[in-house]
Amino acid sequence: MLAFSVKDGYNRECVTSESGRRSLKLLDWNQLAHVGEQALGQALGHVNVIAGRVLEGNLRLGVTGLRRAGKTVFVTSLIDNLIRGGRLPFMDVIAANRFLAARLRSSPDRVSPRFSYEKYLAALTASPPHWPAATTGVSQLRLAIRYLPSSGLRRSIQPMATLNLDVIDYPGEWLMDLPMLNQSYHDWSAHTLELTEHQPRRQLAARWLHWLGTITPDLRPDESLAREGAALYTDYLHACRRSQSNLSLVQPGRFIEPGDLAGTPLLTFCPLPAGSGEPRAHSLWGLMNERFEAYKSTVVRRFFVEHFARLDRQIVLVDVLGMLNAGPAALYDMRMALTACLEAFHHGRGGWLSRLTGHQIDRVLFAATKADHVAASQHTHMRNLLDMLVSEARNAIRFEGATVETMALAAVKCTETVATEHQGRKLACIQGTPLGRQRATVLFPGSIPDGPDLFPENVSQPYRFLDFEPPAGVGRDGRGLPNIRLDQALNFLLGDHLA
Amino acid sequence: MSNANHPASAWLPPIELDVHHTDTDSAAASATATAGASARKTESLGLAALAAWPQGSWTVPAFLGGIAALVVLALAFDAADLMGRSFAASYALGTLVTVILAVTVGTAIKLALDEMVSIRRLRHIDSLRAEADRLLKANGHGEALVFADTLGDFYAGRPDLAPALHALGHTVNDAHSDGEVIALIDRQVLSALDQRAYRCVLVASRDTAIATALSPSAALDVVIVLWRNLKLVREVATLYGARPGQLGSWRLMRRMLANLAVAGVTDSVGHVAIDALGGSLAAAISTRLGQGMINGLLTARIGIAAMTLCRPVGFSSENKPNLRRIRAELMSVPKTVL
Ligand SMILES: Nc1nc2c(ncn2[C@@H]2O[C@H](COP(=O)(O)OP(=O)(O)O)[C@@H](O)[C@H]2O)c(=O)[nH]1
Ligand SMILES: [Mg+2]
Repeated sequence: MLAFSVKDGYNRECVTSESGRRSLKLLDWNQLAHVGEQALGQALGHVNVIAGRVLEGNLRLGVTGLRRAGKTVFVTSLIDNLIRGGRLPFMDVIAANRFLAARLRSSPDRVSPRFSYEKYLAALTASPPHWPAATTGVSQLRLAIRYLPSSGLRRSIQPMATLNLDVIDYPGEWLMDLPMLNQSYHDWSAHTLELTEHQPRRQLAARWLHWLGTITPDLRPDESLAREGAALYTDYLHACRRSQSNLSLVQPGRFIEPGDLAGTPLLTFCPLPAGSGEPRAHSLWGLMNERFEAYKSTVVRRFFVEHFARLDRQIVLVDVLGMLNAGPAALYDMRMALTACLEAFHHGRGGWLSRLTGHQIDRVLFAATKADHVAASQHTHMRNLLDMLVSEARNAIRFEGATVETMALAAVKCTETVATEHQGRKLACIQGTPLGRQRATVLFPGSIPDGPDLFPENVSQPYRFLDFEPPAGVGRDGRGLPNIRLDQALNFLLGDHLA
Repeated sequence: MSNANHPASAWLPPIELDVHHTDTDSAAASATATAGASARKTESLGLAALAAWPQGSWTVPAFLGGIAALVVLALAFDAADLMGRSFAASYALGTLVTVILAVTVGTAIKLALDEMVSIRRLRHIDSLRAEADRLLKANGHGEALVFADTLGDFYAGRPDLAPALHALGHTVNDAHSDGEVIALIDRQVLSALDQRAYRCVLVASRDTAIATALSPSAALDVVIVLWRNLKLVREVATLYGARPGQLGSWRLMRRMLANLAVAGVTDSVGHVAIDALGGSLAAAISTRLGQGMINGLLTARIGIAAMTLCRPVGFSSENKPNLRRIRAELMSVPKTVL
């Protein structure tokens, strides 16, 4: 009983000392169940142990981004760096010497696959090192972080504290589905078709648009026809995501990242023009409408309830450089996609998503990844560019009370910034081994200007940001994977929970 | 740096250079290459800071200098005269007087040199702080490594700082911006010094509070406060590497009093009194205790001003030292004394 009064005291102290919301888990249900399994006497003998573990904070961190944005690499580096703790000088808990240790724990979520941290780290630290293979779907991992509380009062009650950090890696494509919850099939179709009126989408969607021309929405509902349309539409979405065009706004996300839904009827629909007048219920349009609603209510809502609604913090990884490689259309598209993404965080008072849940993400970090692909002096411009892309929606979210931050970072630093002289001009270049090559090279990949004139006329290819091999021997020094600003990102995302 | 903001007309297309055929130098190497230039810049900044050093018009120094010269001349004549007369009296006495004179002159020269060195160090700290401030504001890239080197040289003879400086070398890399490097220096090297300096301030302010509360006369109060504050200023300055001599501490002290407002510390005594009395009845009961506390707080303010003026990197808004803890500590003094 004593244990519980201690717990109560702690809880109250926490609530009063922290103005922000703090998800302190007092007693985890698994632990309760575990206790229930034990004989009573045995359980009583465990009270102290439980009391020691009761005072744990929980935090669920969502890591998302479109395919190849760098989620897997980011989570691997995050875990490795937290476990080793040697390369995070800007994390307050580490700078103040309050960090004790971090270790992996089994996740209480028995359904989602585990993030194979060991496998990905082995790939990065192999000789020769290589990037982890591409992953699909959602995965998660729990990391327990032990630290000393900073306030003397808390420390006198609990000399050590633990934060259970659940990291959830899920495709950004799924996140972009959330705005669909608020749309009808009619509106969504109209919006999607409107997008294909402009290049480069018109070209990419040519075959699907041609198919649309051959049918009328009033046709009999025909399964094979629906499949044909869905297949063509999926091809179009894939074409959008290919690196030459690198368009970001692709809906529905499961068409690209099906997870466990590949081939199910849930994914056999596509937008159809409304046609004139009220479409008949028993028609191809009606069938698609039904599937769209089913997609919303089972797939999107399930993702929302099982994953998104339970997150406390969110980092969105954005491959800004890949988009610059692809050109202005990709830039414009990314802005649309980010705005759609941001709508999901728009759920303060009165927001439509907040009606579905009482829970709320209070910190969102948008991070431009692969900052090591440019010289260090360019990081500010990279960040300013991202700032510009999220600026509109950002103010709205700030207004709702959540904090939004932007940053340029690299989960694994693969290059060095070097100064060179070229035709009498001093250039800040990068030195590293480009992907698929053996020898290191010095590269000036183009420089991101500090302003909206990103694509000067009369220059055909202003940027050529290459991917790099992970450097040989990376991580051997046992201090964690070399990174750029991972510590500042973590400090923003977790810092207040490690105070 | 230069490629970052060139106009669009001078747009440089992406190029790949052969690592073996270009004269590349790593960021660190280029940092040392520009070290000379930057050091020169540092020096010119030092001169600027010197100009800002509180000084009267030229007439006062000229007047004082003249008097000093006259006194020295008179002393020299006297000494020569003395030597002549003692040699005339006896050879042994003459030698003795010569030796005494030589020792006196020698130590005077050494003292003066020490003072000059200490004043130079203070100015060096000023210039370092100005440079750090500039780097933080500009937040460019590559220059802060030079600053880190300069600071490392400045603290070269400090075994207590060696581990922190060594660790700094490991954490700073080529991807950090100037602002980030300065922030790291602040966190990893200087914050430990801040802690120690803060403790010095705490002890000194408690000392003056208790001593003035117990001292029987106001004159003694003044002596105690002056002596303890001077000692505190020297302690703090030495901690941050300024190592001031006697004269240096006096100058520092004078500057401190002139700059109490600089440290975000208001200099009105009325304010101090309110600080001391606010919230504590015990202080209001006894004027002696109140006096002690006012003196303690004054000492604390001077100590914090000394920290601000001796730190090679200016305090940021988040790590600015505050009086809150010291005040709390002082409030417990009545209990100690009574
Ligand atoms: N240089 C560098 N490349 C990265 C970094 N993060 C990701 N990449 C590259 O991006 C690719 C995709 O990363 P991955 O984490 O698999 O993306 P995901 O699909 O979002 O999980 C990797 O194979 C790397 O080539 C980084 O921090 N630095
Ligand atoms: Mg992945």
